[in-house]
Amino acid sequence: MIRHLITLMWNRKRANGLLILEILLAFVVLFAVSSVGVYSWLNYRAPLGFTYDNVWKVQLNPGTQPAAEQFASLQRVLARLRSTPGVVTLSRSVDNTPFAFTTNTAEFKAREGKNRPDAYGDIYDAGPELRDVMGLRMVAGRWFDQRDEVSARYPPIIVTELTQAALFPDGKSALGQLITDNDRETYRIVGVSGPYRAGGELSEPQPGYFLYISPQDTARALFNLLVRVQPGSGAALEKQLNAEIRAASGGWASSIVALPDERATKLKFSLTPPAILGVVCVFLLVNVALGLFGVLWLNINQRRAELGVRRALGATGAAISRQVLGEILVLTTFGLGLGLLVAAQFPLLGVLDVKAGVYGTAMALAASGLYLLATVCALYPSQLAAGIQPAVALREE
Amino acid sequence: MLLSYLKIAWKVLLRRKFFTAISLFGISFTLMILLVVYALFDFTVGPHRPELQADRLLYVSRMQLLYREGGQSNNAVGYGFLNQHIRTLKTPEKVSLSEANFNVATAYVGQQILKLDLKRTDGEFWQVLDFDFVAGRPYNPTEVRDAAHLAVINESTARRYFGTAVGVVGRPLEADAVRYQVVGVVRDVPVARANSYAEVWTPVTTGPDDLRKPDLLGKYQAIVLARQAADVPAIQDEVQQLVRHTPLPDPKIFKKINMRAQTLLASYTARFDDNAGADGGVGRFTGLLLGLGLLFMLLPALNLVNINVSRTLERSGEIGVRKAFGATAGRLVGQFLLENIFLTLLGGVLGLGLAAGALALLNGSHFFAYSNYALNGRVFGVALGVVLFFGILSGAYPAYKMSKLQAVKALKGDIAA
Repeated sequence: MIRHLITLMWNRKRANGLLILEILLAFVVLFAVSSVGVYSWLNYRAPLGFTYDNVWKVQLNPGTQPAAEQFASLQRVLARLRSTPGVVTLSRSVDNTPFAFTTNTAEFKAREGKNRPDAYGDIYDAGPELRDVMGLRMVAGRWFDQRDEVSARYPPIIVTELTQAALFPDGKSALGQLITDNDRETYRIVGVSGPYRAGGELSEPQPGYFLYISPQDTARALFNLLVRVQPGSGAALEKQLNAEIRAASGGWASSIVALPDERATKLKFSLTPPAILGVVCVFLLVNVALGLFGVLWLNINQRRAELGVRRALGATGAAISRQVLGEILVLTTFGLGLGLLVAAQFPLLGVLDVKAGVYGTAMALAASGLYLLATVCALYPSQLAAGIQPAVALREE
Repeated sequence: MLLSYLKIAWKVLLRRKFFTAISLFGISFTLMILLVVYALFDFTVGPHRPELQADRLLYVSRMQLLYREGGQSNNAVGYGFLNQHIRTLKTPEKVSLSEANFNVATAYVGQQILKLDLKRTDGEFWQVLDFDFVAGRPYNPTEVRDAAHLAVINESTARRYFGTAVGVVGRPLEADAVRYQVVGVVRDVPVARANSYAEVWTPVTTGPDDLRKPDLLGKYQAIVLARQAADVPAIQDEVQQLVRHTPLPDPKIFKKINMRAQTLLASYTARFDDNAGADGGVGRFTGLLLGLGLLFMLLPALNLVNINVSRTLERSGEIGVRKAFGATAGRLVGQFLLENIFLTLLGGVLGLGLAAGALALLNGSHFFAYSNYALNGRVFGVALGVVLFFGILSGAYPAYKMSKLQAVKALKGDIAA
């Protein structure tokens, strides 16, 4: 039966060429949408690793103050803010704060050993308080503390779990290991933390590194602060913090943004392109569905005589309807086969830096979506075909 | 002749309303999406306020320093450098210097926090661009030189800060703990106009920066107004000359300076492509946009082709008769193309209506701050062009197929391909 259908459709491949092409394009569209969907969903499901409620980002602008005086001013600002009621704790940071549109990246590998894979990831500058400010989880070892003030042979670094897995694929602990960035500087891993995905929920989980900023560091991380405030703090505290900063520093400007607001902005930016893609694709698929439906319907009307003969020779209505449905599914399979050839190029050529598993799932989703689309479109025409009365159909001839 | 073709087309459309509806749905939604995209594009870089004379404006907003050892720095330009070299260009009518991006300033109204987008500009800013003043006046170059704490605000900010948009001229506004006196209120500028957009504009001399520093990189841009549109290439050449004669900050470290006077569109595309060539990536951008547009039209066009081909089979009798009475293939192709264009024109009218609705919806959602997207003459022209293109694209193959039918076979109804 199926072989028979395939032969039937293969012989009409020229006549159905345009239809096959349309199905092929519909598959490509479905594949694109499912890829984006699967990719975003997997990212969204991965744990963020920190809490953002009641955390504020403070950006400082020293204006025209001479560089030599800035560190002393910062010390006064930090002391003043720490003693302000409503502030729980705060940490210095570089401008790649959570949900910011800035990223800093670096590549590290183990200093010794035979198998030394590179792990490319985000690099954050963190003070001793960052763990409490962001609610980070430690997996092994410790967070930065006073012990890091004592000058050691190698500066300390903390890596995330994902980094540990990427740097040491044989499964040994990263704790105490030495890692190096392109053989320039060597660091000793003092702790392994849970994830810290400052890029937000929709960013791809990737390795992360924390470098230590000493409270005495006068060069880096001077003008960004992350502040954990008491729950329920609002405009009054924000105004007060701005005033305290201005007073303590001698005229620095500051701007304060709550991380939940930053998150909303980031989500808006990251969700808009997929949302537009989704709307456009839904429209294209509705278009294809209507077109397929129309063509099938007209086909049935033109094949009344043929189907009438089959009925007259004893085929049941169900058999006719199966034939019509089978034909369109065979046609869909032709289009799908060609579409898979196109889609397979993405993982094969590695066009975009996405895991092959994402494409696999997307292909499966797109294929089932395509069959569903074809079946829904063929359902009514196949009923129509089953209802053909042989006597009526053959008399028309 | 034309009239009778149109009559036939109309009758054919009415014969099977369901298929006409399917075709019209596809055409009108395709057009709607294309028109919305074009309207967004036109709204961002077309001649609208404040850049009403977009064809006479040039932007010097980015500088690129190439390092000897590879690598580059891309940034806006330093004020001192612009003031010394761009302001003194000979060809332009006027040059204005302002911050390339807005800052966020905080204001407090009772217990409410207002985040205001603030841009610092010089006095010429208001002469080069055409803002729509609702009340008051802009600050002038003398006031900027004297660092007067004056502010021009947009209507929405007036409403949010003062509670009203009337009678606010002369009242004080405090942003980031600095007091400004409001001298003018302008109509809201959409955020898409990235070079001129802000909610509050204040004199550049009231900012925290030292404007005399001669640094090449900074955070400022120059907006250059040409005497006439034809002067634009001459100004671009003059800027090129200037860049060629600018000494490198440190020849041991740096290899080359790149800085260009760019049109409005190029000033946007260059933001996304630091290594764009002389045209600021406009060519690549337009190519990409056209390619995507074509790709997008492909599926609906194919759909229409399929439906049209199927429907021609219904009309084989008519085609057979016309052929038998001597109609040439060319004439039949013409007729069917015309019918298809007629159909797409109908879809185009629907599409324009849908696009207007979609844009109104977008405005109402406040997804883009201060947007007031609308259809205009250019959008209409583009719609007409796209409709004709789409009609010919989707009509050519079915028309060709019809015209190839043999009269005898067509009359017998034996038309299986």
